[in-house]
Amino acid sequence: MTVTTNAAGLDRVAARAQTVVGAALGLLLLLYAYAVVTAPIDATQGVIQKILYVHVPLAYGAYLGFVVTAFSGALYLRKADEKWDRLAIAGAEVGVIFCTLMLITGPIWARGTWGKWWSWDPRLTVTLLLWFVYLAYLLLRNFSDVGARTARFAAVYGLIGAALIPLNYFVIEIFGARGMHPENLDSDSLGDGMTRPFLVGNLTLFMAFAYLLLLRWEVETLRARNLVESVDPISRVREEIGP
Amino acid sequence: MRVFAAILWKDLVTEWRSRDRVVAMLVFSLLVVMVFHFALPEGTGQEITRHAPGLLWVAFVFAALIGLNRAFAIELENDALAGLALAPLDRGWVFLGKAVSNVLLIGISQLLTAAAFGLVFDVDLLASAGSLGLVFLLGTLGIASVGTLFAAMAARTRFREVLLPILLLPALFPVLAGAVEGTLEAMRDGAASFASIQLLLVVDAIYWILCFIGFDFVLDE
Repeated sequence: MTVTTNAAGLDRVAARAQTVVGAALGLLLLLYAYAVVTAPIDATQGVIQKILYVHVPLAYGAYLGFVVTAFSGALYLRKADEKWDRLAIAGAEVGVIFCTLMLITGPIWARGTWGKWWSWDPRLTVTLLLWFVYLAYLLLRNFSDVGARTARFAAVYGLIGAALIPLNYFVIEIFGARGMHPENLDSDSLGDGMTRPFLVGNLTLFMAFAYLLLLRWEVETLRARNLVESVDPISRVREEIGP
Repeated sequence: MRVFAAILWKDLVTEWRSRDRVVAMLVFSLLVVMVFHFALPEGTGQEITRHAPGLLWVAFVFAALIGLNRAFAIELENDALAGLALAPLDRGWVFLGKAVSNVLLIGISQLLTAAAFGLVFDVDLLASAGSLGLVFLLGTLGIASVGTLFAAMAARTRFREVLLPILLLPALFPVLAGAVEGTLEAMRDGAASFASIQLLLVVDAIYWILCFIGFDFVLDE
């Protein structure tokens, strides 16, 4: 696998951004913990409502990761520059982590308020489906040899995965499924004193998202340069033996 | 257009001479129908109409997976895929040829499976044959579009037979939602509602366009 060397400029920017984002994240985590601990207890739901400060930002991160994957996949198909493919991997992996955590925190909250772990609510269904799409994306990459062909396959799959999001909302709209999940938050729906921890939570987890994304992108770049040992021994041996 | 016709003709002739894909799909889906007999509680009777659409489509999708896996496995022999990629035209036409032959082959096995299902479970499918045929056709168009594209990918990975269902099933959710609902309406009311036909048409159109464009990147030998 050839590695483009003129991507160094972008890498340096990414590395610098990583330091800044990492430092901001460290500070924000402290503020975040303080804001959540001191946030008022919800009158009806009790303390379990505080999951909101984790669950909703995780959801934003999950969707953001998938958007990054689809977008960089499209850029890769257009420009055939490997750095976009590496960013697509980073987006998918970080997105899957955020999505998994969202799918863990959601049922805990649901058990406390709806009385059951899961409901086939439109939003839950689409999110679960999307999680499967991106797991399939990662498996597709894992089951193929490292190279330009795999990168193209993954980019095409990522784009179709992104098309599935609006399509599935359309499906659910047509069949008029009833939802249990609350609608999108607007400025009035949070109680007194809840807006600040909510915003801090969003900012912190966004920083965490950006930090992990940059870190994962860098790892992939290093791996491509063979500085980090590839996780996939077969293709590494193949690369060493050569054609 | 000539590339499309040539590939479609080639696929159908190969299948006619060997008949292995349609036979494999058919035997498999008949076995699935047999499994349903054991899975359903005794004396399901009238209840079957409510469950039949879902069960039928489960059999259809599983059978389609078998047929789709073979669609590109045969092209790997003698590196025939590289020959296809050399077609002097937009590779989307290669996709159309492969996909339409898949629609036809899957369609044949579906019709026979549906007939067998109707006979053994005593469901009258002929009463709404026209409407059912339309829903089957639209559903199969959806399955064959992404199915052909993903089969072309999966065929060139390490775990091809395993990977295809993992790639394909999440993308089939919108297709199956419309197809199962349309089949249910056709069996219950005699005609599929506009909502399910509309959904299938929209999803099919999006998938065929995306796959036509995407295939160029997948068959880039």
